[in-house]
Amino acid sequence: MNKFKLSGVIFVMFSIFLAGCADKTQRIDIHHDTGDQVMGLDYRDFNQAAAEAVQSMLKSGALNKKGGDRYILAISRITNDTMQHIDTDQLIKKIRIELLGSGKVVVTTAVGINGAEDEMSSKARELRQNDEFNQRTVQKKGQMIAPDMSLSGKILQRNIRMDDGKQQVEYYFMLSLTEIKTGLAWWEGETIIGKRGSGKSVAW
Amino acid sequence: MKIYSLIFVVLIVLSGCASKSYVKVVDSSVSRYIDIDDVKERLREDGLKELQVSGENETDEYILLRYRVTWKDEDGFEIPSISSNWTDLPVHKNANFSINIIAPNTKAHDYQLFINKQGD
Repeated sequence: MNKFKLSGVIFVMFSIFLAGCADKTQRIDIHHDTGDQVMGLDYRDFNQAAAEAVQSMLKSGALNKKGGDRYILAISRITNDTMQHIDTDQLIKKIRIELLGSGKVVVTTAVGINGAEDEMSSKARELRQNDEFNQRTVQKKGQMIAPDMSLSGKILQRNIRMDDGKQQVEYYFMLSLTEIKTGLAWWEGETIIGKRGSGKSVAW
Repeated sequence: MKIYSLIFVVLIVLSGCASKSYVKVVDSSVSRYIDIDDVKERLREDGLKELQVSGENETDEYILLRYRVTWKDEDGFEIPSISSNWTDLPVHKNANFSINIIAPNTKAHDYQLFINKQGD
């Protein structure tokens, strides 16, 4: 009996000791992150790619509409051609926010490559002829604004095995801004982010 | 008495017009390696302020620095922008470098540009 009690006490004490040694979860300070780089893509990479794209777009003057008006921008297909499960909105949302803030662009959520991003604009129009709704509050026909420009792109990954057994991963953020009327790309940008690390680490 | 009032008014006007923009090398150890030679700014045709900071790496080593800019409107309120995040700044040995940035919108009036070492 005593033997059982003793082993029980040792087990509990050992568990407490292990729990005390476990690494504590910490919140990342995203404004001053001195953490090590990872082989995959993290928020720092998306920040850099988005910042470079926006600065390049603004510098190019491609978004300067005559009379100081704003272009209507539709988000087209952004292909994730990497081995990682990433949502391309991680990149595009930052660009959208910054471009909207620039006062040069308004993004339409009513037109998208896979249908409307926000289906409510169309859904709310189905209330026409519905007697339950005051028809004066229902949107009239011909109110929506069609896009002038389209933003498309691709995020590409290349893995390269190096002679010393290390691994190099290259990420390419490629974006194009197309004028819908002519189909001509008025702006194109590319940001390359390269990482080199252990051949054992996995970049997905 | 009138002249004092006039001086007082002129001083207030001048202090109001003073630019609150600056370029700051955050780490004193970095300021030993690099020199900020010139800061140019211009207003583009589209109303956006453009900033160019030129400097020189006076050492025999390549240095990876980083910079960030905070923009403020005429009333001194910060304008949220992606450029307030740190951006890499490669500086080659014994070479000139420049940082070229465009304001996030036409309301951006003043800027504070910080340069620092990677990892600090």
